[in-house]
Amino acid sequence: MIGIGLKMLFADRAKVFGLVLGVAFSTLLITQQSSLFVGLMLRTQSLIADAQEVNLWVMDPTVEFIDSAKAMRDVELQRVRGVPGVAWAVPFFRATTALRTQEGRTLNVLLIGLDDDTLIGMTHRFVVGGPADLHRPDAVAIDYAGFKRLWPDESPKAGRLLELNDHRAVVTAISDASEPFSSAAVIYTRYSKALSYFPSGRNQLSFVLARAAEGYEPQQVAREINARTGLKAYTSSTFSMVTMKYYFTNTGIPLNFAVVIALGFVVGAAIVALIFNMFVSDNIRQFATLKALGATDRWIIILVSVQAGVVGAIGYGIGLGVAAAFVAALDYPTSELRGFYIPWWVALGVAASTAMVILIATLASSRRVVVVDPAIVFRG
Amino acid sequence: MVEEAQPAVTCRGLVKAFGTGETRTTVLRGVDLTVESGEMTLLVGPSGCGKTTLISIIAGILSADHGRVDVFGTPVTRLRKHDLPRFRSQMIGFIFQQFNLLPALSSIENAAVPLILAGAKKMDAYRRSTASLEQLGLGAELHKLPAELSGGQQQRVAIARALIHEPKLIVCDEPTASLDAESGRTVMLLLRDIAVQMSRAVLVVTHDSRTFSFADRIALMIDGRISASETARDRPRDVTQ
Repeated sequence: MIGIGLKMLFADRAKVFGLVLGVAFSTLLITQQSSLFVGLMLRTQSLIADAQEVNLWVMDPTVEFIDSAKAMRDVELQRVRGVPGVAWAVPFFRATTALRTQEGRTLNVLLIGLDDDTLIGMTHRFVVGGPADLHRPDAVAIDYAGFKRLWPDESPKAGRLLELNDHRAVVTAISDASEPFSSAAVIYTRYSKALSYFPSGRNQLSFVLARAAEGYEPQQVAREINARTGLKAYTSSTFSMVTMKYYFTNTGIPLNFAVVIALGFVVGAAIVALIFNMFVSDNIRQFATLKALGATDRWIIILVSVQAGVVGAIGYGIGLGVAAAFVAALDYPTSELRGFYIPWWVALGVAASTAMVILIATLASSRRVVVVDPAIVFRG
Repeated sequence: MVEEAQPAVTCRGLVKAFGTGETRTTVLRGVDLTVESGEMTLLVGPSGCGKTTLISIIAGILSADHGRVDVFGTPVTRLRKHDLPRFRSQMIGFIFQQFNLLPALSSIENAAVPLILAGAKKMDAYRRSTASLEQLGLGAELHKLPAELSGGQQQRVAIARALIHEPKLIVCDEPTASLDAESGRTVMLLLRDIAVQMSRAVLVVTHDSRTFSFADRIALMIDGRISASETARDRPRDVTQ
């Protein structure tokens, strides 16, 4: 039966091409847009994800998400350290500013100040050097993407001089920090250096990074910090979700992507349903012949489903492949879209949406095949 | 003895109308017909007299409004809709004017379709299909598509398809209409051999007067009724000429 269905299908190459193209287009659009959306949402919490040793983020009670940090008094660090269940707590500074190279190039950067002793809160992935290199005088680590934007023709190396708010900085390491939402370069330095690069009044402590002691649940410790200090405290995973939720609900990003994804689905479904309906119409006499020869409605529906399913599988494969190629092609250091990928669950979700497109096409066409009068085979 | 006496097909008081209200047209107006096994029965008559409607009802493709059809003891007009495909796949072999071969399938595959529909294994179906096509002189055309065959060859593939599942009744709709004279004669000889040598009932709808000499029985249909019926005994003929 499958052989008959496939031979019927592939005999009409023009329609197969149109069907595959429709499914592939739909898959490509939905996959690409979904992946960009997921990538953007993940970028919003890149700093949290990179700080792997940390499982508690403490902040001013008015802070809504990571990019709305309100500076706290330095004394808050000590208060957090005093809360039972806190194994350790370190300061964390974040600010956006601009740097200038000796050649005069400028670049917006996300300046991150880390605890001078432990350097907790930074990525562990380095392209050149490592965390220890931040202990050197005026040392900063720039991310690889930032380095390539400043010196696109150079291979990554330490020793470059920078100016940060008229202060000298030396690139002693090159990190592979996760791309932040703003696409700015990420500069890591010691907390004390960060404050000198970015003097901003009395209160400069953006966050307190902490870890729950052995035997303590981070959620419980977060509640304890809140109760004892009045500061807002989240576990890392909760803070990630809170941050993503903020962007999700307070920006037009989800709506924009949803519109394109919906268009991809609707246009794909319409194209595939239309062409598949034409395919069935053009072959209605063959279906009627099969019915006259004894094919049951169930047999015919399975035949049509196999035809639609094969077209869907080929189109999905091509669409996913092109989407993956698109993502891979734009994953170079200076790309605004670097670091994006197609999560397995996006691929699975798109497969489900493709299956839905195929189901719509099958349902739209099956009825014609089921109701066709096999007596038409006697008409000349 | 009882089985031999049973007619292949009996139609009694068949009535069929199409449309509703003012557009309602009664096509069959009480048809009585008997078709015997081992005979080729021709159903002739002017266009629009209801021949195709009649064979569609006999073959279980159309339902009758009134009356009864029995095919080898099976009350076709009383079968439920979902039983009809099985009835057709087991009891009826179809030969159409336009051949109705599936254009994407080779001769072997086309001839094997009824067996595949009946759930036979592909290799077994192809083996039987090959044997059937070779018997019909198509051994060299097994892997050709319908478009690569002449009209006569296509009709012989259709005959192989009609016979492969060994149905008791072969229903043919204008089987020579799309063929030249020589191919038409070959096809009619084949159908007659099937009826006589294989003891099948062959019911042929035709306009082609050249085919009348091959018939064991001719039923004339006019205005929705069988108006006359004669057997070969009623008229001298030699089907080999």
